[in-house]
Formats: sequence, C-alpha cells, structure tokens
Amino acid sequence: MAEILKNKQLQIIVMALSFLFVFLPYFLNVPQLNTASTKLVTICSIVTAFTVALAVIAQFRRGMNIINRRSRGWYFKAYMLVTLVLMLGFSLMGRDSGPYQWVMFAVVNPLSSVNYGILAFYMASTAARAFRARNTKALMLLVSGFIVLMYQAPLTGAYFTGFEPISIYLGSTFSMAAGRMFLISVTVGAIVFGVRVILGKEPSVLGISKEEK
Amino acid sequence: MMAKENGGILKWMAEYDRRYVYLVLFLVMVGPLLRPIGMPITVSPDTVQYYNVLQEVQPGDKIFFTLNTEFSGYNEIQSGIIATMRVLVEKHARVCFGVAHVEATIIPDLVIKAVQAEMTANDYQYGRDYVILGYIMPNEAAVAAGAENFHGVVTQDWLGRPIAGTFLDEITDWEDWDLITDFTTGICTGYIINHYALRGTPMIINCIGVSIASEKPYLDSGIIQGLLQSMRGGAELEFLIGHPGPGLTAMDGFSFGHYMLIIFILIGNVGYFGYTRQQQMKAATEGSKNG
Amino acid sequence: MVDIIEISVVAVGTFLAMCMFSTLYGKSSPLYALAEESYIGFATGLTIIWNIDYIWKTGIVNIMAGDWVLLFSILLGAMMLLRVHPKYSYVARLPIAIVLGAQFGLSLRTIIFTGFIQQISATIVPLFTGGTQTLLYNWTIVICVIFMLTFFFYTVEMEGALGVSARFGEYLLYIAFGTVFAQTFMGRIGLVIGFLQSYTIPDWKTPYLLVSMVLVLALVMYMDRAGLLEKLTPED
Repeated sequence: MAEILKNKQLQIIVMALSFLFVFLPYFLNVPQLNTASTKLVTICSIVTAFTVALAVIAQFRRGMNIINRRSRGWYFKAYMLVTLVLMLGFSLMGRDSGPYQWVMFAVVNPLSSVNYGILAFYMASTAARAFRARNTKALMLLVSGFIVLMYQAPLTGAYFTGFEPISIYLGSTFSMAAGRMFLISVTVGAIVFGVRVILGKEPSVLGISKEEK
Repeated sequence: MMAKENGGILKWMAEYDRRYVYLVLFLVMVGPLLRPIGMPITVSPDTVQYYNVLQEVQPGDKIFFTLNTEFSGYNEIQSGIIATMRVLVEKHARVCFGVAHVEATIIPDLVIKAVQAEMTANDYQYGRDYVILGYIMPNEAAVAAGAENFHGVVTQDWLGRPIAGTFLDEITDWEDWDLITDFTTGICTGYIINHYALRGTPMIINCIGVSIASEKPYLDSGIIQGLLQSMRGGAELEFLIGHPGPGLTAMDGFSFGHYMLIIFILIGNVGYFGYTRQQQMKAATEGSKNG
Repeated sequence: MVDIIEISVVAVGTFLAMCMFSTLYGKSSPLYALAEESYIGFATGLTIIWNIDYIWKTGIVNIMAGDWVLLFSILLGAMMLLRVHPKYSYVARLPIAIVLGAQFGLSLRTIIFTGFIQQISATIVPLFTGGTQTLLYNWTIVICVIFMLTFFFYTVEMEGALGVSARFGEYLLYIAFGTVFAQTFMGRIGLVIGFLQSYTIPDWKTPYLLVSMVLVLALVMYMDRAGLLEKLTPED
C-alpha cells in the first residue's frame, strides 16, 4: 500500500484524471458528467478546508518550540496559544453573542484594521523619502500621482475641476491597461505552470523531493 | 529639530525624522473626524454606472451579497456596503449574505444594524427577505461548487439553522441570482468572476483602493457591470442616494491626508534638489579631483 | 446610556490598536508583541472554528442527509492531515494530487476566458470611429497594452524595434504606476480613517482613543529610556 501511495507516476495520473474530470465537462455540457464533476469539486472544497489544520499544527509546533527553549519573550507565545484555545471555547458558547462577540469587536476587529492601516503611514513616509524627480520617468510617475491624488481629495476635485477629466483618463487608460497587461501575463504564466504540473514536470508541487525524482 | 550646521532648512527637509510624517498624518486624519468641516464631492462616471445597475434592481430580485473582505477592508468600504444595502432594501430585494473570510462573519450583523430603520420600514423578515449564510466561500472549489449546485454545498445558515423554507429554495445554480454585489479586498472575487460573472450572472464590485487597477480590466471588458472604488466611491454613492453616512463624514480627513502626502513629497524633493544632490555633486567633484 | 460591555470593548480595542501602532515609534516593543500575539491567537482560533463549521455543514450534514459520496472528502481530508507526520507524510500525496488536479481544472477552464481571451478582445476597440474622447481613450488603451506587454518579454533580446517599444512601454508604465500609487494610498488612508471613525463616532469613544494613544506612547518612551524595550521584546 505504501509503495502504491508513494508512486510518483500514479500521483501524476490521478492529478491528470482529476483535472480532466473537472475541465472537460465544463465544455461538453453533459448533465450527468456535470453532476459528477460538481461532486468532485465539492469534495475538493471540503478537503481544502482540512488543510487549515496543517497551518495550525505548524503554528502550534513553532510556539511550543519557543516555549520549550525559553527564548526571550517565550511568554508571549504561551499567551498566543492560550488565546487560541480560549477562542475555541468562546465559540462553543455561541457566536451571535457573549464572549465570542466581545473578542471579535474588542480584539480581532481593531487589530485587523490597524494591521493594514499601518501601511498608510509606511507608504506616506516611504513616498516622502523615496519619490524624487531624479529623471524623466520619476517625474512622470510623480506628475500622474499628483494629478490623481489631487482629484481623489474631494475638496480639490470639486473646486479645481481640471483634475477630474485628466485623472479619470489616467485611471481608465494607463492604470487599466497596466492592470490588463498584468492580468494577461499572469494568466499565461498560470496556464503554462498548470500544464507543466499536469504533465508531471513540477513534482515538487506534489511534495515529491529531489531524491525521489 | 532644525539642522544647525551647514544646509539649514534644506538639510532638514532632506533628512527629517519619518516619525514626523506619522504624527502629522495621524493628526490631520483625526482632527476633521472630531471637528467635521463638510466638503463638496463630485461623482465619477464609474460610481454613476454602479448606481445605475442598483437602480435596475426589481422588487423580489435575489441578490448575492458577498463579503470578500477582512475587517480592515470593511473599515474602508463600509460606506459602499451600507449604501448598497440601503438601496437594495428600499428596492425590496431579497438579500443573501455570504462571506469569504472568517473575520467577515460578523459584518452582516453590522450592515443590518446600520440599515435597521429601513428594514423595519420595509417589513424585512429573516428567511423571507434576507438570509445570512456565513463562511461559505473558503476556497475556489467552494465557490465553483456553490455556483453549479447551490444546495449541494449550502444547507444551513451561519447559526446552523436549515435554509429550507427560505427564499433560497429558488436558487439552484448561478442562473438564479439576479445580481451579485461583491465587496472585496480581493480574496475570492476572481473566483466569483470566473464561476458566476463569466457565465452571465450580473455582478458589481466595491473594491479597496489597492484592487482598483486589477478590477478595472473586468469592468472595461464587460465581465462585471459596475465598480465602486474604495472609500471615495462609497462617499459618492452616499451622495447619489441622498443619505450621508460614514463615507461622506470621512472625506474631510481623507482630503487632508492626501494633501499632507503631497506636501511631504514636495518637501522631500526640495530637500533633495537643494541639499542632497548638491552634496552628491560636491562629493563626486572631490572624488574626481583626488583621482 | 452606554453599558459596561461596550465601554470595555472600546477601551480594550483602542489600547490594543495603539499597541500595534507603537511599531511606528521605530523600535520593537513588548506592547506591539502583545497586540501581535493577541491577533494571531484569536484569529487562528477563529479560522479553526469556521473551517470546522464549513466541514461540518458542507460535509457531515450532507453525509447524514444521505449524500454518501461525500464520505470521500472526510477520508481524503484525514489523509491530508498526515502530511505533518514524519513517517506517513506520503499518504497526503493522493489527496494533494486530486485537489491540485481539480484546482487546475477549475482555474484553467475559466481564466483562459476572463484573463486572456476577453481581455484581448476588449483591447480590440474601434480606432477610427467614435467621438474625440472615445478615440483618445481607445488609442491610449491599445498603445498602452501593446507597448507595456513588450516591456515584459524576457525570452528575446530587446533590440531594434522591440527595444524601442519596450523603452516606450516602460515610460507608459511609470505613468500607470503613479496612478496606481495614488489609488493605493487612497485605499490605505481609507483603512485608517475607517478605523479612526469607529473610535471617534459616537463622541463618547474619543477620550478612550486619545488616552490609549498617550498611554501607549508614554509607556514605549519610558521603556526605551529605561532600556527595557530590547529586554522585554520577544526574539524574532
């Protein structure tokens, strides 16, 4: 059984069959095939939810490692593990009220907000220090950024109406074109990578080490 | 604080402590929240397009209200979320909340609290007019499975109550939704576009500022029908519907934050050209003299 | 009248948020570590709860309702968990293969259209018919997409016409990046203002925000002067 599960060729065949079982029915439109394909997709959605446990186990292991080694500040990791367990306990008491909701509003929500909000300050200080009109390209970046910033601020956008058409033009053409260009590039890359994985040229994705190749 | 040796103000402008940026930015954002000024706002064509799609919603339409955001993203786009919900309630649409991030599981409650008056006035009842499904989109496979066989994936709401008997009995797959309103920081939006919008389900998006450039191509290619951009878009929508909310009240601090960034960039450039560049040229000249 | 629960939510929330903001002081502090570990712990617990909930509702409930095929999801999920076992980690390869194959099938069957064909067809726009604004927009989009794409050709030598095209595309990219930067900043500042709004509206919350800010700043400055910052901050 172990040899069967370790067999690299079998894994690639299973992966390819799974791929075809999801990919082809989309274009063939045979109802029974669609139903079976959807069932496989549902199974995969549940299996993917299990993988969260792997991340949690890794988190636990790392935390216990730090606590056992008594590294500087190990009590913070102990605190983290305690809060993790507490949250599980709170959820059992009800998720629409009680300590669960308290934790959501008092801890998770403000910290989640600040986690990303800090980036505004870093962006501002980095922009202030790094954005120099050293050459033509930098100047073009600054000018386009300046125009869009002035439009985005409602006060100038309303009173200096010249910024609006230029800013909308920049957003609907240059910025959109860059987004489209990245989307096309990423899509082509994803397709190529997907085909390589299905053909077995990227065994590391399946967790097959170099020695086993 | 001010440079004392050679360079003076220009040296300071080139080399000031970045913590001044943090402090000033914080103050210009908090100040107007404590003492609002009230600024005018213009409405962009994209917001008008988003608003027009909302205006076409008919009573009884089934709306998939997807919250693809962490709580941080909610802070930015809450104005758009609440304004959109307000319009949907006033149109007597039937709304199904689904979330793609664990932090967003309490957002439907916040949205409903914000429009409670309208919901009460329109006699909204849980099950008949709105349902909260909770965390039903953890990954792409879940989105795809839900698009193809809704009841094969979703059988209970977020508190474990069966959805049988609610308006969701009318949903079998992607074709049965009249509109998807997606509020996103980019978690599952691509998947919803691929498995719903691509198949023809009308979809409008309210995204954070970071995602605008990546969502615009979908709007331009017609895959989605409306794009509300960040907090400013939400404020514009509030203005259009005539119901001021968190978006419009934030616009004062929003404006001043933008101006402070521009001022700091200008200060940095003045300092660079007036001091740093001179120093670099001086050092290069002395270096070439020494051989 | 505000109740004690609401006050505790605001007081703790503002304090922890300011602890997290303390990273802006420029040095690591135990207050930041407190906020960070609080978030990691509670958010991880939250993730576990809702993923178990998803597995229960989508898997177990449907199995109990008679959909026995979904038993495979529980079996494959359990096999997946063996990934962390040093001896039996190979057992996880089969579910990984199935999930990956299905995942690629789901992605590739749709992104070919949304990310490639439809984007290319949206770039094919009328260049000689339409009003002035439409023509300006259309020409700009076509020129930008084509020249920006040539900048990212890494498999051929950038010389001659291709080199000129790539350099022109680079300039266009810089204009686009300026716009994107402004939009990104709008997004980030919106995050902060949205957060500040939740702690300044209604007015009774504002003193908690200001007191927390002053308190945390004072604590961090004191610890810095007393040399306690490095002693109490966890190792990276």
